[in-house]
Amino acid sequence: MHNRHLHSRCRLAAIGVLLLVLGACAHAPGPGPRSQAGETAATASFDTSSMAARWRALNRLGYGPSPALLQSVQSAPDARLWAHAQLEAAWAASQQAPALPATLAEINLTLPQLFEGAKKEREARAAVTAASPVNEALPNDKRFDFSQPTEALHFNRTMVNKAVAWRLASCSNDSLENPLLARMTEFWFNHFNIYQNKGPVRPFGGHYALHVARAHALGKFEDLVLASAQHPAMLFYLDQWQSVDPQSARDNRGLNENYARELLELHTLGVHGGYTQDDVRALARVLTGWTISGQTAKGFQFVSRAHDAGTKTVLGQKYPASPLQAGQSEGEQAIRFLARQPATAKRIALRLAQYFVADTPPPDLLAALEARFLATGGDIRQVMQVLLDSPAFWASENRLFKTPYEFACTALHTVRAGEDRSKWVQAWGYAAVAGQPIHQWQTPDGYPFDSATWLAPEALTRRLDFALNIARNAPEWDALYPLLSPATRSAVLQQGAAQRLGFVLGSPEFMYK
Amino acid sequence: MSAFNKPAMPLNRRHALMFMGANAWAMRPAWADAPGSAPGRLVLVFLRGAYDGISALVPHGDAQYYKLRPSIAIARPDGGASSALALDNLFGLHPAMAGLLPLWQQGVLAAIPGAGSPDSTRSHFDAQHHWETGLPGSSAAGAGWMNSLSKLYGKERSALGVGEANPQILAGPQAVQLVASGQAATRAGALADTRTREAILKMYAANPSLAQSAQAGADSRMQTAAMLTQAQTEAAMAAPPVAMASSAGSDSAIQQAANNGAPPAQGLALDAQNLGTLMGKNRQLRLGFLSAGGWDTHLNQGNTSGALANNLGSLSRALLQLRRHFSEPQDVVVVASEFGRTCAENGTRGTDHGHGNVMWLMGNAVAGGRWHGQWSGLAPGNLNEGRDLPVHHDFRAVFAHILAGTQGVAREDTERLFPGYRWDPRLDGLLRA
Repeated sequence: MHNRHLHSRCRLAAIGVLLLVLGACAHAPGPGPRSQAGETAATASFDTSSMAARWRALNRLGYGPSPALLQSVQSAPDARLWAHAQLEAAWAASQQAPALPATLAEINLTLPQLFEGAKKEREARAAVTAASPVNEALPNDKRFDFSQPTEALHFNRTMVNKAVAWRLASCSNDSLENPLLARMTEFWFNHFNIYQNKGPVRPFGGHYALHVARAHALGKFEDLVLASAQHPAMLFYLDQWQSVDPQSARDNRGLNENYARELLELHTLGVHGGYTQDDVRALARVLTGWTISGQTAKGFQFVSRAHDAGTKTVLGQKYPASPLQAGQSEGEQAIRFLARQPATAKRIALRLAQYFVADTPPPDLLAALEARFLATGGDIRQVMQVLLDSPAFWASENRLFKTPYEFACTALHTVRAGEDRSKWVQAWGYAAVAGQPIHQWQTPDGYPFDSATWLAPEALTRRLDFALNIARNAPEWDALYPLLSPATRSAVLQQGAAQRLGFVLGSPEFMYK
Repeated sequence: MSAFNKPAMPLNRRHALMFMGANAWAMRPAWADAPGSAPGRLVLVFLRGAYDGISALVPHGDAQYYKLRPSIAIARPDGGASSALALDNLFGLHPAMAGLLPLWQQGVLAAIPGAGSPDSTRSHFDAQHHWETGLPGSSAAGAGWMNSLSKLYGKERSALGVGEANPQILAGPQAVQLVASGQAATRAGALADTRTREAILKMYAANPSLAQSAQAGADSRMQTAAMLTQAQTEAAMAAPPVAMASSAGSDSAIQQAANNGAPPAQGLALDAQNLGTLMGKNRQLRLGFLSAGGWDTHLNQGNTSGALANNLGSLSRALLQLRRHFSEPQDVVVVASEFGRTCAENGTRGTDHGHGNVMWLMGNAVAGGRWHGQWSGLAPGNLNEGRDLPVHHDFRAVFAHILAGTQGVAREDTERLFPGYRWDPRLDGLLRA
C-alpha cells in the first residue's frame, strides 16, 4: 500500500466518461456530440441538435423536466439556441420581482419590516412566563403549512421555513421561476453562503436569496459581492456587523476579521489568491463601521465613528487613498478592487465550470471564461454565454452527478409536486439527511458539487429511498420513456404502475445532469 | 445472523462472506480477546470550525490568559461550578466538561496543549483538508489517511464514519462504512427489499459506479440497521423488568433500557453510541470517525455558559459514551480540530482563527492524568505571530505514536501514511510503557 492511491475523484471521473458515452449514445437519435478533449473552444464544432444535448440542457440549466419544458426543448431548433434563450429569459426574469406564492410573500418584506418582525418576536418571548412556556414543537406536516398568519412568537422560524419553501418551490416549478435563474440563485447563494439557522440571520435568508443571489445572478460580479457584503444576512453571519475600530469602542469591542478573511478566501481571490494575514487584518480595518441597520431600506449602515480612519494597505492598495477621503467608500473601493482581480476571475471561472460542466473542467474552458470575465468587468451573463458556446459544456464525457439539493429539486419537478407541502417536506428531509440541508450549510465555503463528495454508497441509498418514496403512486409519465436507455426502460416497465416514476427518478439518466 | 437462520434472504456471495465474516468473529474463542492480544482501535472525534482549546484546557496558572481574555476567560479554580476544575497548577478543565474529570483522575485522559499542523494556513477548509489527507500544505486531491490506513489493515472494511455523508478523511479507494447520524442509522431503507434491490442493480448494470455504490450502500445499511436494532433489543431484554412493564415494547422503552435508565443519548453522544455499538459488534472495524461542527466562535463565545460551553458539554457527553465502548487495553480516542483560535479575545467577545491547539487522548494505553509535550505559555513573545498558540507537536507525530504504540502499525508505515513527518521523541511518554 501507500504508493499514492489513485484518488476516488479520478476513478469516478474515468468511470463516468465511459458510462456517459454508453448512456448518451444509447438513446441519442442523432449523431452524438463530436467534440474531443483537446479541441479548443474556438475551433471545435459540436452537435447540439441531438436528444442527448437537449436532455443535458434541461438538466444543467434547470432541474429536470416538466411537460412544458420538455416540449419547449424538444421543439427548439437546437439545444444550444434553446440554452441561450433560457439565459436571456433568466436575465430578464432576474430584473423582475419574483412570482412568490402569496403564502411565501413575507420573505420579501422590506428589511426594516423583517427587523421589526424579529424585534416583535423578542418582545413576545420576553413576555412569556414560566407558567405557560412557548410550545416550540413543529411537527413536520406543519413545517411548510403557512395557512395561518405568522405568529409573533415564531416569526424567525417561520421566515426560515418560508425561505426554504421558496427554494423548493422555485427550483421545481418552471411556471413560478425560470429554471436557469433558480440554478444561478442556487449557485450564488452557495458561493456567498450564509447559514440561516444562526440566530440573527434567521429572518433574512429568503430576502438574501431574492435580493442578493437572484437579483444579481446574471449581472456584474462586483455588484453581487457588494450586495452580499451589505446584506444583514451576511453582516450577521460572518460577524462583520460587530467589527469596529478598537480605539473607537467604549466597551472593549474591536476588530473581528471573520468576514474580511472569507471575502478574500472564498468570495473573491481564493485561498491561493496571493493575500497574507496582514491583508486580512488590513481589510478588516477597512471594513470597520460596516454594520446592520433596522431603519434603512438596505438594512445596512456605515457608522463612521466605528471606522478605523488610519492608513491601511490591502494588496498594495492604500486606504484612504487620499487624506480627504475616508469612510464607507473605502470598503466599497476595496470590494470592487477585489472583485476585478485576475485571481477572482480564475476562481469564479472554476466554480462556474465545476457547477455547469465537469468536476475537473478543461483548462481551455477555464481560460475562456476567465478572459471573458476580465474583458467584461465581471459580467456574469456574458461569462455564461461563453460557457454555453463551449464544446466542453456539451461534451458527453463531461459528466456531473447531481447533488442532493439538485436531486430533490429534480424529483419535485418530475413528480409535479407544485404546492404539495408534504412533498416539500420529503424533499427538505432528504436534502438534510443526505448532508446538504437547505440554507443550513454551516460554513461559508458552501457545499461542493463534485461526485467524489456525493456519489457514496450510504448517500446513494438515501437518495433511492427518497426517489422511491416521493414518486410512490404518482401517475406514470410515459413521455419520458424515449429519453431513457433500454436498460432503464426495461427496469422501469417491469415495475407496477405505482412504482414506475420512482424508478425513473432512480435511473442513471436522472442521477446525472 | 448466519446464512442458515436467514433462509428467506437469498444471499449473494458477497453477502454470505460478509455475514460469515461477522459470525466467524463472534465465534472466536475467548482467549483471542484477552487483554493485550486484541489489536487496538482508534476513534477520532474531529471538531470542525477550530475549537477554542484553551477554553477546554484552561491555562489558569498563566496570568497572561486573564489579561488576554477579559470577558471570555474561564475563572481560576475556586471549587465552584463556574470556574475551571483544577487539573494541576497550570491547567484546569472547563466546568462543562466536569464529567471527564474522573477519567483524568483515573489516568486515562491526557492532553497535548501545543499540537497542530505545521502549515500556517488560517483557512478552515485548507487546514481540514491537510488534517484529513495527512498532507499539510497540500491542497491537491488525495485519499484520506484513515482510508489509506484501513487498506493497510486488510481487505475487509475496517473504517467506520458516523454522521457525515462522505468525510474526506475516509474518502479514497478503500471501501469504508458510513452511517447516518442519529436514529436514521437504524433504518435499512428501500434497498433492503430484495426485489427492489435487484431491480435497481439491474438498472445500473451498465453503470459500475452506481451499481457498486448501491450494492455497497445496501449491504452496509442492512448490516448497520440489524446490528443497532439487535443491540437495542439486547439492552431492552437486560433492563430491569419494572421498566419494561411500564411501557412494554414501545420504542422509547427500548431506548430507555438501552441506556440503562439514563436519558437517551442525543446528538453527538447518540452518534458516539452507534459508533461504539457497531465497532463492538463488528470487530473488523478498527477505525472510527465522528465529527461535530459549530466551533467557529468569532462572536460572544461565552465562558462558563454560552455557545462554546454548550458544545463542550455535548463533546464531554460523547466522550463518556465512547469511553464505555472503547476501554479495551489498546483502544484510543482522539479529539482534535483543524487549528486553534487567537489567544486574545477579539473585538466581539469571541476569538479569531489561530494556529496551535489542544488535542485530547483517551484510553487505557494513554499515559493520562497529565498533559504532554511542550507548553511555552501565553507571553506575547512566545505566541505564533504574536497571537496564537505555537505548534510544538505535529499532529501527524501524535497519530504516529498512537498507531505505532497501540494499533500494531509499523513505524515505516506511519512514514508512508504521513510523508515527510518526523517522529517526535518528546512525545515518547504519551503512552504507557
